[in-house]
Amino acid sequence: MQYQHLKVNFMGRDPSAAIDEWEDPAFEVYHTTDRYGFIHDSNLSKERDDAEKIAKELERTDKWKKMYKNWDKSFDGDHPSKGEKLRARVWKGIPDQWRGEIWKKLLHIEELKATHQDVYEKMLTRALTTSPDIRQIDLDVNRTYRNHIMFRERYGIKQKHLFHVLAAYSMYNTEVGYCQGMSQIAALLLMYMDEEEAFWCLSQLLTNKKHAMHGLFIPGFPKLMRFQSHFELVIKKFMPKIYKFMNANMIPPSLYAIKWFMQCFLDRTPFPLTLRLWDIYMLEGERILIPMAFTVFKVHKKKLLKMQMEQFVNFLQHELEKDFGLEDDAVVLELNAVVLDLRRARVELPPPPSDPLEEVPKTHFGSVTYPTEEELIKRQQSQIHINDEPTVSRTEYLTLLAVSLFTGNSGIGRGLVDTKLGMFPSVVD
Amino acid sequence: MESSSNEHIDYVFKVVLIGDCGVGKSSLLLRYSDDFFQESYLCTIGVDLRIRTISVDDKRVKLQMWDTAGQERFKTLCGHYYRGAEAIIIVFDVTSENSFSNVLRWYEEARQLSRQDTVLVLLGNKSDMADSRAVSTERAQSLAASLNIAYFESSAKLCDNVKETFTATTRKMMEAYQKHHRAHLPDDLTNSKSLHMSQPIKSSTSLNCFDCSIM
Repeated sequence: MQYQHLKVNFMGRDPSAAIDEWEDPAFEVYHTTDRYGFIHDSNLSKERDDAEKIAKELERTDKWKKMYKNWDKSFDGDHPSKGEKLRARVWKGIPDQWRGEIWKKLLHIEELKATHQDVYEKMLTRALTTSPDIRQIDLDVNRTYRNHIMFRERYGIKQKHLFHVLAAYSMYNTEVGYCQGMSQIAALLLMYMDEEEAFWCLSQLLTNKKHAMHGLFIPGFPKLMRFQSHFELVIKKFMPKIYKFMNANMIPPSLYAIKWFMQCFLDRTPFPLTLRLWDIYMLEGERILIPMAFTVFKVHKKKLLKMQMEQFVNFLQHELEKDFGLEDDAVVLELNAVVLDLRRARVELPPPPSDPLEEVPKTHFGSVTYPTEEELIKRQQSQIHINDEPTVSRTEYLTLLAVSLFTGNSGIGRGLVDTKLGMFPSVVD
Repeated sequence: MESSSNEHIDYVFKVVLIGDCGVGKSSLLLRYSDDFFQESYLCTIGVDLRIRTISVDDKRVKLQMWDTAGQERFKTLCGHYYRGAEAIIIVFDVTSENSFSNVLRWYEEARQLSRQDTVLVLLGNKSDMADSRAVSTERAQSLAASLNIAYFESSAKLCDNVKETFTATTRKMMEAYQKHHRAHLPDDLTNSKSLHMSQPIKSSTSLNCFDCSIM
C-alpha cells in the first residue's frame, strides 16, 4: 500500500488506471521531441533554421533577464518610453525560457496571488464535489495536446494539473463554467507555469479589460459574434475581392474564425508562430485579433481567391497550421503594419456591445450557487446514470459524485465520472 | 483533398455529424477522409470540414462532411449547420450508455433543423471495444427502427465499416434527391442533375442565411 502510495505521487495517476500503451511516454521511444515539447513521429526537417533562431534568442536572454529584474522600476506605466522598449521586445518574441515569467508579469499574477491566498485551493476543493462540468473537463483533458510531452501520459501529472485548473475555474467563474476551447488555453499556460499561476492567468485573460475573453465563452458567445461580424465588415471595406468571393462561395466567418478569436490562433498557425502571437496578445490584448485575422487574408489573398469553398476552408483550418508560408518574423512585421493601417482607419476593434453588461461577468467570483433540485435532476439525466435510477436526491447525488472522485471508483455507476487523476493520493489509502 | 478542380462531379452532398462529445465524430471523419486514425484526438471547436469524393453506382459524388462540437453550448453555433444538410449522422459510443441515451435529444434537434427529405442515420462507434460495450447492437437497432432510420456500427480505430456506412448513406441521399426532385421539378430538369465543379450545385445549403441569423 505504501509503495502504491509513492507510486501515485510519482506518476500522478492512480496505478490501477487502465491506459493505452501510447499514452505512456515511457513505453515508446519517439523519433523527435521538438524544443517546445511536441512529439513528432518523423524527424524534424527545419533543424538548421531552428538552431539559428535559438542562437538569436539566446543572445536576447540577457537583456530580458535585466529587464525582468528591474521590472517594477521600468514598467510601472509612468515611463512611456520604457513601455515602448518592452513593447518592441515583446513583438520581437519573448525568449522561450523567459516566456512564462514575462506572461505572468504582463498579467500581474504575483499581485493577484498575494491578494487572493487560498482561493485556488478553495475553488478546487469545491469543484471536486460540486462542479457540473467535471465530466466534460475530464473528457477534454483526455484530448488536449496529447502530442505534447507534458500531456501525453494519461492521468499524468500535467493532465492532473490541467484538470484541476479547469475544474477550479468552473467554480470561480460560474457564468462561464467550463467551455470547450478553454482547455487548450489552460494547457498552453501550464506549459510555462504551475497550476495556481495558470489558474490566475486564465482568470485574468477571461476577465481583465485588455483580453476580456469572458464574452467569448459564455453561452451565446456574444463577443465572438461581435468580432466575427466586425471582421466581415473590415474585409468588405479593405479586401472587397475576398469579400465578394466569400459571399459567392457562402463562407461565413464561423467557418474559419472561431478558433482565431476564441483561442488567439491556437492550432491554426504553426506552434512557434502561435507563441509569438500569444506574446503579443498577452501584451496588447484583444486589439490584435482583428489585425491578425486580416493579416492571414492579406498574406494569402492571391492563393485564396483561386480556391473553391472547401479548399478555402481546409486551407485556413488545417494547411496553415502545418505551414504558414512565411517566416515568423515576417508575419509579425506584416501584423504590425496591419495594426497601424486598421488603427488609422479606426477599425482595429469592433464597436463595443450595445449592452455594456452583456459580455462581462455579473455574479461575484467564487460565490456559491447551489444548483436547484430541478437543475440537479436535469444534469443527472443528461450526464449521469446511477444504477439506472430515474432520480437521486441532491445529497445522494453529491455524496456519490464526491466518493467516486476521491476514490476513482468507477463501480458506483456506469458513466459516472471516473477520472483516476489521483487527485488526493492520501485518500486512496 | 483528392478531387482536382476539373473533375466531373454528379452530386455534391452535405453531411453533418452530430452526437455527444468524445463519441468519435472527428475520428470517423479523419478515418474516412484521410484514412488516418489519431489516438491523440482533439476536441472540435465550432465546426470542421472534411471532403471526400467517391464513386457510387457510376456516379461521382463529392461529400462535404461537417464535424460539429459536441458541447451543449455550441448547439447555438452549430445548429445552423444542420440546415440544408442532405444527411445527418447521429453518432454515439457503444461503450457509453450516456451517449446512447442522448441519441433521442440529438434526433429531435436534427429533425427540427433539417429538411423533410434529409436522410438521418444512427451510427454506433467504437465497436472494437467489445469488453467495455454498454449498448448492444439489438438495442441500438430497435431504437433506430422505432425512429425509422438506418443503423450502422463502426470502428474508426480499426477502420471497420466506416466506408460502408458512408457509401450506404450516400446511396440513401441519392435516392432521396431523385425522389424529391422528381416530385418538385419539371421532367426536363430531372435529367440535368449532372453538373460541373465550375457550376456548383445550388442546393438549399444557404450558408449565408445562417451566418446572418447568428449575428
